[in-house]
Amino acid sequence: MTKTIIRFAHATFGFPGVIALQDISLDIAEGEFVGVIGPNGSGKTTLCRAVLGLMEPMGGSLQIFDCACQELRCHHRARIGYLPQKGTLDRNFPITVLEAVMMGRYGALGLFRRPTGRDREIALDALNNVGMQDHRDSALGGLSGGQQQRVFIARALAQQPEVLLLDEPTTGIDITTQHSVVDLIRRLHQDLKLTILLITHDINMIRPHVDRLVLLKTRLYAAGPPDEVLRPDLLRQVYGKDLVITEKDLVIVEDYHHHR
Amino acid sequence: MVEMLAYEFMQRSLLAAALVGAVCSVIGVFVVLRGLAFVGAGTAHAAFAGVAFAYLVGLPPLPLAVVFGLVTVWITGVMEEQGRMKLDVSIGILYTATMALAILFIGLMKGYNAEVYGYLFGSVLSVTPEELRAILLLSLIVMGVLLAFSKELYFIAFDQEMAEASGVPARRIFYLLLTLVALTVVVSLKTVGAILVFAMILIPASTAYQLTHSLSRMTAYAVTIGVASAVGGVLLSYVWDLPSGPAIVLLATTLFFLSVLLSPKRLRRVTVG
Ligand SMILES: Nc1ncnc2c1ncn2[C@@H]1O[C@H](COP(=O)(O)OP(=O)(O)OP(=O)(O)O)[C@@H](O)[C@H]1O
Ligand SMILES: [Mg+2]
Repeated sequence: MTKTIIRFAHATFGFPGVIALQDISLDIAEGEFVGVIGPNGSGKTTLCRAVLGLMEPMGGSLQIFDCACQELRCHHRARIGYLPQKGTLDRNFPITVLEAVMMGRYGALGLFRRPTGRDREIALDALNNVGMQDHRDSALGGLSGGQQQRVFIARALAQQPEVLLLDEPTTGIDITTQHSVVDLIRRLHQDLKLTILLITHDINMIRPHVDRLVLLKTRLYAAGPPDEVLRPDLLRQVYGKDLVITEKDLVIVEDYHHHR
Repeated sequence: MVEMLAYEFMQRSLLAAALVGAVCSVIGVFVVLRGLAFVGAGTAHAAFAGVAFAYLVGLPPLPLAVVFGLVTVWITGVMEEQGRMKLDVSIGILYTATMALAILFIGLMKGYNAEVYGYLFGSVLSVTPEELRAILLLSLIVMGVLLAFSKELYFIAFDQEMAEASGVPARRIFYLLLTLVALTVVVSLKTVGAILVFAMILIPASTAYQLTHSLSRMTAYAVTIGVASAVGGVLLSYVWDLPSGPAIVLLATTLFFLSVLLSPKRLRRVTVG
């Protein structure tokens, strides 16, 4: 019996005038690797923000570490590593790679405590893990998008989190790097026994690695082993009638009329 | 050149200028990085309205400047958080409204009050020992708090939402920053004046921004530039009999344009394309 670390119970989240997630019930166990898929605007990013306690439920409840999400404190958040969906980084912002990764330590350290040599070691270790150790003194703004993405993964790792939330970690990254990022995440899951929630549009890439897939479109359409979730009828319901077929274990987005 | 340092008023004004140069440039680093540049300007005008109000009703000017400044930055903070309107628009409205208040208060006064105008344009050469003590106390408070919360302040300047998500009390730190901006403005009112304090917050930090890719180095450069232009400006104003506020600000501006010309960031853009 593994412990439940995140528990949605009929939870509803939204913004003024918009319901982003409705009536979600889902348990995520400690050490589980869960992939989250769904079309644009289906509430995937909202799911992450909810787990971080940045939103209040409009109905139902969400528990993380046995704490209601609206009562999550800073010391809880420090146990969750978060890679936000790619935003815009001001390329001129004066910060080095190591300085950015060290920020991952700040929440865990708490107020009034200065980072020590030990924190620096943890940050360097995290950089090593993503293969960016040679860039530690480079300007963050001078790196490519994919390299910056790895640095932000390193920052999440520097928190030494128990839970890792990755919002589209491979979007905008070249194919070889995509595979090394996925390999890295799989390694983290196996070696460090992290609980991982990975949001992606690239279903085929994560399919072999995840324990479970969650299919979202405001409501929870399915949650289970990839083979059970990636059924043509379910996918058509979520992604639209004509657009998705599965063929030989691959989900292919195709123009339906093309086949007729 | 050396004998002028023997005058007590000269020692006082140099010390006041150095303190103001240091405080403004350190807070300026966070203001520039967090994108709050115009908050400094808005607060300065609000603090000046506080001074004018104090002279009108016969109360001490500095405490009222603090109150007016704080109320304005906090309103600005709430407006930014709610995000209903772009920050530059809401600050633009507050900024002109507080200026209108200041002009109204001055208009209601009987006759011309030269002391009030001293706060508008600054007069570092006439800083009194009591004023210097107030500047010293407020500077120490602002610098101490900045130092104590520097890692959190850097984080929210880089990415406030990320800071919140990773367990930093980012909202509270943001309001702390706004509060420190208001205190800094009040510290600087008497020396550089309400119109020019904005320049002292922006220019040294922006100059340092041109020169480095590292957060910690940016702060060190900003303080050096801020103190150097404040002290240099006072000396120039004494030697050539210039108004001190403009002398300080124009010296800082000259350094800024030099840094733009010599910026390694600019070179990077040219070479890498
Ligand atoms: N800050 C916000 N204010 C108002 N509505 C929002 C906000 N953020 C998201 N929404 C709404 O919530 C819904 C879900 O958005 P969310 O960002 O969670 O989708 P997503 O699945 O992450 O999409 P994508 O694949 O494009 O990243 C959308 O309808 C969106 O319009
Ligand atoms: Mg999203």
